[in-house]
Amino acid sequence: MKHRTRIASVLFIMGIAGTFSNPASANALKEAGKVALVAKTGMSVTPPRAWNSLALRPSKNAEIWTLDGEQLNKVTFFAGIASGVPLYKERNKKRESLPKMRADTLLVDIPELLEGTIRGYNNVAIFEVTNSMPAKFLGKDAIQFNYTYTDNDQLPRLGEAVATIVGGKLYMVTFEAPRLHYFKRTVEDYRRLVASASLK
Amino acid sequence: MKYLSKILAILLAVSVWPSAAFAQERTATKQGFELTPNSGKKILVFRPTVKVGAQSTGGLFEPNAQWTDDARKHLSNALRARKATLGNEVIFAPEPVGDDAIVLQEHMALFSAVSSAVIQYQFFAGNRLPTKKQDNKNDVFDWSIGDQVATLPGARDADYGLFIYNEDQFGSTGRKLLQVVALLGPRISVKSGEHRGYAALIDLKTGDVLWLNADSAMGGDVRDAEGATKRVSQLLEGIPGAALTASAK
Amino acid sequence: MKKLVASICLITSCGTSIKAEPLPTLPPYAGVYQPKGVDEIGLWQEDDEDERALRDSSVIIRDEKLTAYLKEVLCRTVGPERCESVRIYVLKESVFNASMSPNGTMRIFTGLLLRCRNEAELAAVLGHEFGHFEQRHTLKEFKKKRSATDALSWAAVLAAAASTYQGNSSYSDLRYSVYGELYRYNRDQEREADRLGVAYLNRSDLRPQAASEIWVNQMAEITVSSQAKGFKKPQFNKVAYTASHPPHLERAATMAALALPEGNSRDDGHIRYQNAIRPWLAQFLDDQIKVGDFGASEYIITSLAQSGWTSDLWHARGELFRLRGNPRDHVNAVDFYRAAIALDPLKAESYRGQGLSLMKTGQRAEAATAFNRFLELKPDSQDASMVKMLLQSLAEVKS
Repeated sequence: MKHRTRIASVLFIMGIAGTFSNPASANALKEAGKVALVAKTGMSVTPPRAWNSLALRPSKNAEIWTLDGEQLNKVTFFAGIASGVPLYKERNKKRESLPKMRADTLLVDIPELLEGTIRGYNNVAIFEVTNSMPAKFLGKDAIQFNYTYTDNDQLPRLGEAVATIVGGKLYMVTFEAPRLHYFKRTVEDYRRLVASASLK
Repeated sequence: MKYLSKILAILLAVSVWPSAAFAQERTATKQGFELTPNSGKKILVFRPTVKVGAQSTGGLFEPNAQWTDDARKHLSNALRARKATLGNEVIFAPEPVGDDAIVLQEHMALFSAVSSAVIQYQFFAGNRLPTKKQDNKNDVFDWSIGDQVATLPGARDADYGLFIYNEDQFGSTGRKLLQVVALLGPRISVKSGEHRGYAALIDLKTGDVLWLNADSAMGGDVRDAEGATKRVSQLLEGIPGAALTASAK
Repeated sequence: MKKLVASICLITSCGTSIKAEPLPTLPPYAGVYQPKGVDEIGLWQEDDEDERALRDSSVIIRDEKLTAYLKEVLCRTVGPERCESVRIYVLKESVFNASMSPNGTMRIFTGLLLRCRNEAELAAVLGHEFGHFEQRHTLKEFKKKRSATDALSWAAVLAAAASTYQGNSSYSDLRYSVYGELYRYNRDQEREADRLGVAYLNRSDLRPQAASEIWVNQMAEITVSSQAKGFKKPQFNKVAYTASHPPHLERAATMAALALPEGNSRDDGHIRYQNAIRPWLAQFLDDQIKVGDFGASEYIITSLAQSGWTSDLWHARGELFRLRGNPRDHVNAVDFYRAAIALDPLKAESYRGQGLSLMKTGQRAEAATAFNRFLELKPDSQDASMVKMLLQSLAEVKS
């Protein structure tokens, strides 16, 4: 009896140790030249080079791609954000509410929507939209804008985004990277991703 | 009683298991990088980030100035002692002020981000990015902190920069006991102590990471001279150009 | 909202004195501080590294004029001998907070600068923080925090184990009592610092009743904020600064009681303060609004407006309502922007905001007028080309 219990407890511990080493879902490869559906929606992207998509997602309608890790280059796809919905899943709807997409949101409002989201979710105090201009995205009239902010790792970052509204829903792709070296390094790859995007 | 002590013995032995269960890469060199001893190249050592303290049962980091002072002193001495064996000329970087300090701070923050990305996404088996898995297969190690390093004070007069980050949190007895109990019942993982260190050789013209040693489970006690020497050895293990490794070949 | 403040005042007898306690006296100043003991040296060392990082960080506002002004207020409060060793850092973050580390680093958050209405209120908070420094509180708190978190961890493990077998966890109860203890201990220290803070004010040339008033104001802000978020009771414990400070009513009453009654007729320095902060106000208001706490922002704006509405305040209110963006909000925003423009016809950003809200209330012709004026005043604004496109689309609809 004692002997069996001893073995049992050791096996139990081994079992626990084993669980810790297997994460639930893994980061996925987005192969060059292969069409990828984003956030399981009708928006698709055909990357000219291989990217990685992260297992961790900010919300049901969003997906993060990276080359070297989100702290160094981060592309976020927002697909089909409807009226009343925030860009990220709120941690706490009452206490930490985030700004929402609305039926009357205009293209020119979108930078403020993103700013409020990043400031609120990441507790960021330094954020500035530096440049907004008309653009085309998914074949529609869109806004393209640039921004800067400093996150909690004390690393100043630059951002670029393009966004449009189709059928009352927001479609946006953002790119963020440290302003030291990393933004400039990957911004063209990001732009190529955007150029390859389409909506079914 | 005998039965209980046997269980305890198993548990204590097993308390080091979880870290062993994750096979970890620790070092990488940029493909094609070579540094031989007495090459005439100069290495610029930046002020290392050194944090030493205790980790209470509750996981709180208790900074300990005496330990940090000792560690900084011993690590510096160990570094200087290793200077000769590094095989090439070593300069210690001047302390920057004003805007220069801010720029260095940004580089240090970026170095920390890069090192953690390397561990998270290329070294650590549990969470690798597929493209980094590919790199591992092809022996590719391609990381950088950017060519603005060339503007850091002292960089103009050297070829490579040595960046060092060292953090030690010694687990208290309470913490170690907690770790054992946690393993027994609920699915809580309790880590006792943290001994992480990153050391990198950076190309001072391009910012390329030529060599990185990144370890989140280092040994040795940095608070005394012997331990610090051991730690420096670990941090600089395999550093290209070292006369030690050269003679070992 | 005035009623809210009034009712709080009724309970705490704002501005009147209760001679129940002897007035606090200042301890003799021990001189430049030297750390003693392992823990203290520990924090100091970490602080020096922290100060180094702080000094070089990107969240600091490096403005000599502002920092010099703040230092001057501190020196007039605690005296030149005491303030000499203090280094002030202004952090860009919209929280009501200030803190002081054992090595003499004082961090002042821009959210505090936004909420103070005069020098006396600022002096009250800075004096309080200096009181911690003088009494070496941070070290004691750290020691206490350590043993408290030890207990917490054990409880978590044991209770979680229990819950597996019995399905019932008493962890949450234990956590409450441990945190409770932590609160009481901290609150005693905070009471000490309050007493010292008022003592400094009493001895200064500023109005000591401000210490109680700024606290009452904070409580009212939190109350309004909680209500706006849909909470039935004010969430005092969820706000960083208040979570570790003494119960609010008690605190306000104590500080009111400790203030020298004769000091009530002193200057509170509101003109000097407003002049010093004016160049920063628009930025601080903007940061606050973008935190996304409607109730708190609305309260702050209207509280500041008690000494007179300015174009900055009206504009901020317009932005606040427009960004929340409920249908009625745009109607109000239009009026607020109009008020800002009335006080400052060259306020370009107000035309932009007004134009957006006018569009959303269906007033397209008026919107076009506002956008045109915006572009006239600020042709190189960062989104000028987007606004031009808006104008084009408005013109198309008309024709």
